[in-house]
Amino acid sequence: MEEIYRKKGVKIREHLNEQYIEVSRKDFKDSCAYLYEKKHSVLRLMFATDERRIDNSFRIYTVFSIPGIDRFFIIVLSLKDDDFTFPSITTEIPAAHWYEREIRDMFGLIPKGHPDLRRLILHDSFPANSYPLRKDWSITETDLREWGEGVKQKEPYNFMEVEGEGIYEIPVGPVHAGIIEPGHFRFSAVGETIVFLEPRLFYTHKGTEKHFEGMSFFDGIKLAERVSGTSSFSHSVAYCMAVERIAGIEITEKAKGVRTLLLEIERLYNHIGDIGNMCAGTGLAVGYAKGAVLKENLMQLNDRLTGSRYLRGINVIGGVTKDVFLQADAILSTVNDVTHGYKDSMRLLLGSASHIERLENTGGLSKDIAQKLGVTGVAARASGINDDIRKAHPHLLYDRLEFESHTMTKGDVFARMMVRAEEAECSISMINALLENRYEGELSVEVMEIPEYSSAIGYAETPRGSVFYWVMSDNEGRPFRVKLRSPSYCNWPAVPFAGQGNIVPDFPLCNKSFNLSYSGCDM
Amino acid sequence: MEYFQFLIIIIFSPLINGIIKKIKATMQGRRGPGILQPYYDLIRLFKKDMVISSVTSWIFKATPYIVFTATITASMIVPVITTKASLGMMGDVIALIYIFALGRFFMALAGLDAGTAFGGEGSSREMTVAILVEPIMMLSIFTAAISAGSTNIARIAQIQGIFYSPSHILALFAFIVAIIAETGRIPVDNPDTHLELTMIHEGMLLEYSGPYLALMEWAHYMKQMLLFTIAVDIFFPLGISNNTEFSGIAISFSAYILKMLFIAFLTAFVESTRAKMRFFQMPSLLGWAFVLALLSLLTYIMMGK
Repeated sequence: MEEIYRKKGVKIREHLNEQYIEVSRKDFKDSCAYLYEKKHSVLRLMFATDERRIDNSFRIYTVFSIPGIDRFFIIVLSLKDDDFTFPSITTEIPAAHWYEREIRDMFGLIPKGHPDLRRLILHDSFPANSYPLRKDWSITETDLREWGEGVKQKEPYNFMEVEGEGIYEIPVGPVHAGIIEPGHFRFSAVGETIVFLEPRLFYTHKGTEKHFEGMSFFDGIKLAERVSGTSSFSHSVAYCMAVERIAGIEITEKAKGVRTLLLEIERLYNHIGDIGNMCAGTGLAVGYAKGAVLKENLMQLNDRLTGSRYLRGINVIGGVTKDVFLQADAILSTVNDVTHGYKDSMRLLLGSASHIERLENTGGLSKDIAQKLGVTGVAARASGINDDIRKAHPHLLYDRLEFESHTMTKGDVFARMMVRAEEAECSISMINALLENRYEGELSVEVMEIPEYSSAIGYAETPRGSVFYWVMSDNEGRPFRVKLRSPSYCNWPAVPFAGQGNIVPDFPLCNKSFNLSYSGCDM
Repeated sequence: MEYFQFLIIIIFSPLINGIIKKIKATMQGRRGPGILQPYYDLIRLFKKDMVISSVTSWIFKATPYIVFTATITASMIVPVITTKASLGMMGDVIALIYIFALGRFFMALAGLDAGTAFGGEGSSREMTVAILVEPIMMLSIFTAAISAGSTNIARIAQIQGIFYSPSHILALFAFIVAIIAETGRIPVDNPDTHLELTMIHEGMLLEYSGPYLALMEWAHYMKQMLLFTIAVDIFFPLGISNNTEFSGIAISFSAYILKMLFIAFLTAFVESTRAKMRFFQMPSLLGWAFVLALLSLLTYIMMGK
């Protein structure tokens, strides 16, 4: 690290396990490349802020974490003097390619040297030269209506074309035959074999990050809980954690216990549901139905525990609202029942040769590509990357719990199923271990004051992978900027690579094995 | 009486599908829709307006009628409860297979007609399956036809006894695989799927709506029941009446109901316990069935039974 620190004009600021390293424009690329290549660090997230109100500059933040060190290295670049460009790091760090395009779309800051500067988030009908996350952004009524109707092409998007004998394009979506989220996929295929696949997502832009700005910190929880239904609780944990870290408060043992327990319950119900969902991809109706029943049991448990099937309304800034440990017996008995059912259904699935045959060697994602794209969660672990936020940056009670993060090497659909299966068992034993202990303390501690213009990262491991919230406060006690990065955002770019070389009818199965959210990555 | 037995196919074919769906739902631990649901669906579709792509030609509009009438014509050839087939003298089993092929041909054309990706995909896959299934069907029926000395289904049904020769059993297995493929069921195709990329039969129908869709769906139900009926005619004709007397018909009809229920159960069972096959693996299943059919024919020729 000294190499970076020694550079001229480097300012270093520390906050908990975050180290902000402010570098000059000329050193930005080298510093990032150094962390990535020499230290084998992982790009966790990259975003921009519009801090013109404070010191007349835009800032680019790139957050890295080095394996084995519980610390975030955040390279900060300030853009002043109306020079709205910054050096692109995509050629060195491919995982940055979406982040940089997003920054271009939302802030109008151009990543110089980026190989693909087409729009990513905003679609053709969104007016040109209009950058929603700038603080002074406004949109006219006409523009807004035309954007909503999506008829006028204001900045056309050119799909990549594959040329060659016998190659044809299959456009799929954004409206699908089933009731699922919108997403457009353009396959280039020879016969049934996929040669190239280009997804076009971001049909569900809701301006979530913009909404956070100007909400109260408290209301922000409600929004964070609704970003992604399947991981409501992880999102609110990450958001609350970020705000608590800004305020400098430490939550009680009890609150940590409740959060850890519910995170694992959330993981369990998702993994079981996802394994069942893969059966829908292979047409194994009984497996699908069993998965759905087990998931429903756990969601009803959620409802009994918290009043919400998606565990909403439990987290508050400074702790939790309900002591679910009081219902330890109910949790234990449901989890035990589900465990039995789950083991039965796994036996059924693994015993079904026709099902397993479909999963093996389908949708393989190599470790190399997964690493380059910064894939996270189940998909990363199935490809042999041992990355789990619970281990990499221990939080809540995870440093005291015994658990393994399971990896497979093949990266195919079967590997993703098995990683889920092993994690589900791991969650079950963690839930049991958590319920054996007593945790002391109040449910929540009061948040006295949130310092102005300060920031912190919050994170959690959702069932799909890591989620990050970077929150910065303004001078009126509200969020100034909230950057949220969901696991789907990291993993979507990997899906086309997993699809390549497979046959078209196998793609839905491949896609289901990742189980990514369309809306959940569209902030 | 015998002239109207094809009406049984027309009227009860949606019911068979409803029963299969119900059994499947029960196996999955669901309550499922009632067995009359296919009728409600058809009625609803007949009442609806149609949305027809502006780029389609007459083929798109003619296909539902062609497919529907072709299937009815096919059902007239097949004896359902009495071997006095309605139009038995008009066509035999070879005609039957080609009447099906006519319907399929137009369906594939209609799939291509609107120029959508899924229609084309469905058509191309359907034709791939068809090429593989047709010889299986032919050969397995031929085994029965040679032993009966006629390609007329009614005649085959009359002659086939209760005792089975090895060649018949082999042919039966081959025929079951052919039925699964022809009716678009798991492991070849998944009738319940909403994943447009995996569709075969449904892919061709994606552009259809309203009454046209109803005709296509109904034709598909009828084809399914017809194939079941052919299977019982050729391989389990026990109980089928050779005349049109009331007592004979009554026995025959109840035997027929039992047989249909049995086949519906079998179909639902296979569909619930197996995953869909990878598309490129399907030729190996169908190839295996073809070998069975061929063996059955050879067995008959060499062993004489």
